Amino acid sequence: MEQNRNKGKILKHKLVDFMHNLFHPHDYLRVLGTDRYTSLKLRIILLDAILSIVPLFIVITISYFWFQQILKDDFRNQLKWEINNTNQSIEFFIDERLSGLRFLSSAYTYDQLLDQKILVDVFSKFQKEYGGLVDIGVIDSNGIQRSYTGPYRLGGKNYSSQDWFNEIVVRSSYVSDVFMGYRRIPHFAIAVKKDLPEKGTFWVLRATIDMETLKKYASLINLRENDDAFIVNNEGILQTPSRFHGNVLEKFKQYILPQENISVKEIKGSYDDQGMYGYAYVKNSPWILVAVIKSTPFGKIPKIFRNELFFITLISVLIGVTVTIIMTQTVVNRIKEADQERAEAIANTEHASKMATVGRLAAGVAHEINNPLAIINEKAGLMKDILEMSGDLSQNKEKFFVLINGIFDSVNRCRTITHRLLGFSRRMEMSHDAIDINDAVKEVVGFLEKEISFRNIRLELNLSQNLPKIVTDKGQIQQVLLNIINNAIDAVEEGGIIDISSNTKDQQVIRVSIQDNGSGIPKDKLKHIFEPFYTTKEKGKGTGLGLSISYGILKRLGGTILVESEVNKGTTFIVEIPIKAEAV
Amino acid sequence: MSQTKVLLVDDEVEFASALAERLQMRNYDVRTANNAMEALGLINTFPPDVVILDLKIPGMDGIETLKTIKKLDPSIEVIMLTGHGDVRSVEEGMQNGAFEYIMKPVDIGELTSKINKAKKKRDKV
Amino acid sequence: MEDKKSYDLRFLHMRFIGKIIAGFTHEIKNYIAIIKESAGLIEDMIKLGIASKSDPDQYVEIIRSIEEQIEKTNSLFRYLNRFAHRMDNELSAFNVNESLEELIALLTRIANQKKISLEKDFQHDIPSITSSPSMLQFLVFHFLEENIARLDKNSRLIVKTAPLKNSIEVRIIPKGNFLTMEMEKEKIPDEILNNVIRQLGGSISHGSEEDTIITLPAAST
Repeated sequence: MEQNRNKGKILKHKLVDFMHNLFHPHDYLRVLGTDRYTSLKLRIILLDAILSIVPLFIVITISYFWFQQILKDDFRNQLKWEINNTNQSIEFFIDERLSGLRFLSSAYTYDQLLDQKILVDVFSKFQKEYGGLVDIGVIDSNGIQRSYTGPYRLGGKNYSSQDWFNEIVVRSSYVSDVFMGYRRIPHFAIAVKKDLPEKGTFWVLRATIDMETLKKYASLINLRENDDAFIVNNEGILQTPSRFHGNVLEKFKQYILPQENISVKEIKGSYDDQGMYGYAYVKNSPWILVAVIKSTPFGKIPKIFRNELFFITLISVLIGVTVTIIMTQTVVNRIKEADQERAEAIANTEHASKMATVGRLAAGVAHEINNPLAIINEKAGLMKDILEMSGDLSQNKEKFFVLINGIFDSVNRCRTITHRLLGFSRRMEMSHDAIDINDAVKEVVGFLEKEISFRNIRLELNLSQNLPKIVTDKGQIQQVLLNIINNAIDAVEEGGIIDISSNTKDQQVIRVSIQDNGSGIPKDKLKHIFEPFYTTKEKGKGTGLGLSISYGILKRLGGTILVESEVNKGTTFIVEIPIKAEAV
Repeated sequence: MSQTKVLLVDDEVEFASALAERLQMRNYDVRTANNAMEALGLINTFPPDVVILDLKIPGMDGIETLKTIKKLDPSIEVIMLTGHGDVRSVEEGMQNGAFEYIMKPVDIGELTSKINKAKKKRDKV
Repeated sequence: MEDKKSYDLRFLHMRFIGKIIAGFTHEIKNYIAIIKESAGLIEDMIKLGIASKSDPDQYVEIIRSIEEQIEKTNSLFRYLNRFAHRMDNELSAFNVNESLEELIALLTRIANQKKISLEKDFQHDIPSITSSPSMLQFLVFHFLEENIARLDKNSRLIVKTAPLKNSIEVRIIPKGNFLTMEMEKEKIPDEILNNVIRQLGGSISHGSEEDTIITLPAAST
């Protein structure tokens, strides 16, 4: 339970952090390395775009496939219906003729039909009524054709060994497969058995029908370019010609057609080979009606639909994205303005308070002048009084000297005060022009050129190109450089080497290194070199103030000075200066 | 007329001694004190007519010292010594019974005139 | 992050104040130096026994000169003090004439060096206004400095104040010839000046003959 609660908390924290980071990015979350407002805009637009486009696409995809499914189902039903209709027509066709034959077998006796004249008459009447009749014949119970009319010479033919005859003995009606008759014309035969129960025997009335009619029915199904409809038998032999699947009496191998009610199945082929096929077993016959539809109108519709859909989606997305962009721009720009105004207001307030402080400090320091001034005033006044009272100086010489010294003391006090005031004002006049540090270095070096060449010192400058300009006090930086380079000059002997290089330490700091191969500074002295009045030079040379002043300058400018040294190897001074100005 | 007794209170020793000397030369009887304690002590032993009081003295605040003096002897007149920008202190001082004020550096003529006026006022009382 | 113009303005403002304080301080330093020299001179004179016979006047003269320097220092210091306190509050009710006196006190010496006479023509009954005294000084100082730099010797520079119906006018009137020199000194860009005058709620215009006119709204209580 505890674990779950903790997990929940952690999750919540993660979510809050995520949202926070989204709107308050750290540098590493910046998109495209652009400024934070552009980065924010991009992030919002991206997020918004994803949030709106993804569901849109999900919905569209689902709708698309759903729609496609509906169309397919619809088509499938349509096909089933058509096959069913056609099937029923064929069945009816068969039933009609079987009924006709049955009627004839009841209406006429066996002996009557043995009469050729009557048979011919029956034939022509039957033909007139039903059409497509090729021949008709009477077969006795032994399988012998006893009378026949038709184009072939089938009188007396013995059918007893044939399968159909054996079947009809059992079944009483029969429809045959298509076969190639004489003259190689495909037709099929139907036959009915007439039982003679009083005689305990039977006879068969058989007719051959040509295939044209049957073909007609097969083509009832609405066919398009790549479609095919035909009839096959139980063994898959084509009964009618097909467009793409073989000719009459060839084997149809494409699909297996297990016996079911009308069935429509999908063809899952390659992209070009998609479609549906349906089939139905024709009752009372050995036939199966097959339709293979590859024109897939259900595929075509989606293509048009797809284009429309694509177009509409594209427009929606474009509108959506445009609106998002405009709104994001507006909002983030407003935020940026507000931020700027706030920063501005803060800066102004800081400025005002800084000014007030400055004013008070200045006034405070200046106030201090009052006292020494008053002292000078009194002492001078006293001198005047003494002169006016007793014009004789000789008695008051000593006193005057004392008074004058007092004045000197006060004057010194004043000087200290004015010195402070000046330093104070100088800080405020600090230059903030952006300077090129390399130029500053070169200027200082130029200043020391004579000294350097005079002592045969080799100077190497390794100044990086394209350093950013830094906002700082050029004069003071040069003062520092002058100090350090001077020290280097003093440290190396004749023919020594001084190497000055400049580069960026990181995004905020520039480094200038001054390396010499002089005598170096021992470790225990190294700690003290920035202290005021510390000098390793002989008495009289150097004040020991240079480095401490330089250190102070760098500190005030927001930078620092580092030193590395090894005895007899050399010394390196590293000056680090911030690129942006420090506030006063 | 007896000499006017002046107590000069200022922490700047050089200033106080020079000014005291000048006043002496002008026939004033002057003592100096460098802080509030000293000043109050001297008031007992050397009751002055006029006190010249620098508002910025160590120890007790100048105004406090003024109040104390006035409590000790309301007839003593106090002239405030000020630097610039001490407007508020001056106002407060006047409200607390100071007679006048004078700014440093001091014009000796102006100072003596004010001391005399103060003495006159005290004499009336 | 902040507006660059405002950043520059704040910087220039700081620099202006530094300049003024430095200016005052330098002058005071000069006076102090004179005092020192004078005292030294007296010392030397006594040592050398000059006028040991009753002729105190020479000494008195020198002492008077010392007192004069003290007085000048004092007066300068008063202006400096006043100036420094102008920054206590961003907005305050103040007297324009007084605020300008501080600038004139400082600039007089520089003007004199160039033999330019810096004059003030102030209307005495000018009403006080509520504004930023420091900013106004910044602005006026800029124009004064500019004119002093450009004017030739023996010219006059008049600072005039006058109350108008609902406003106060500060007019800087140069009278003399202008030097045809290149302004190598960095000029404060116009947009910053406009920024300042906008903050003050007033306007800057230029009259005929190179006058600069600063108009400020009078205090609305």
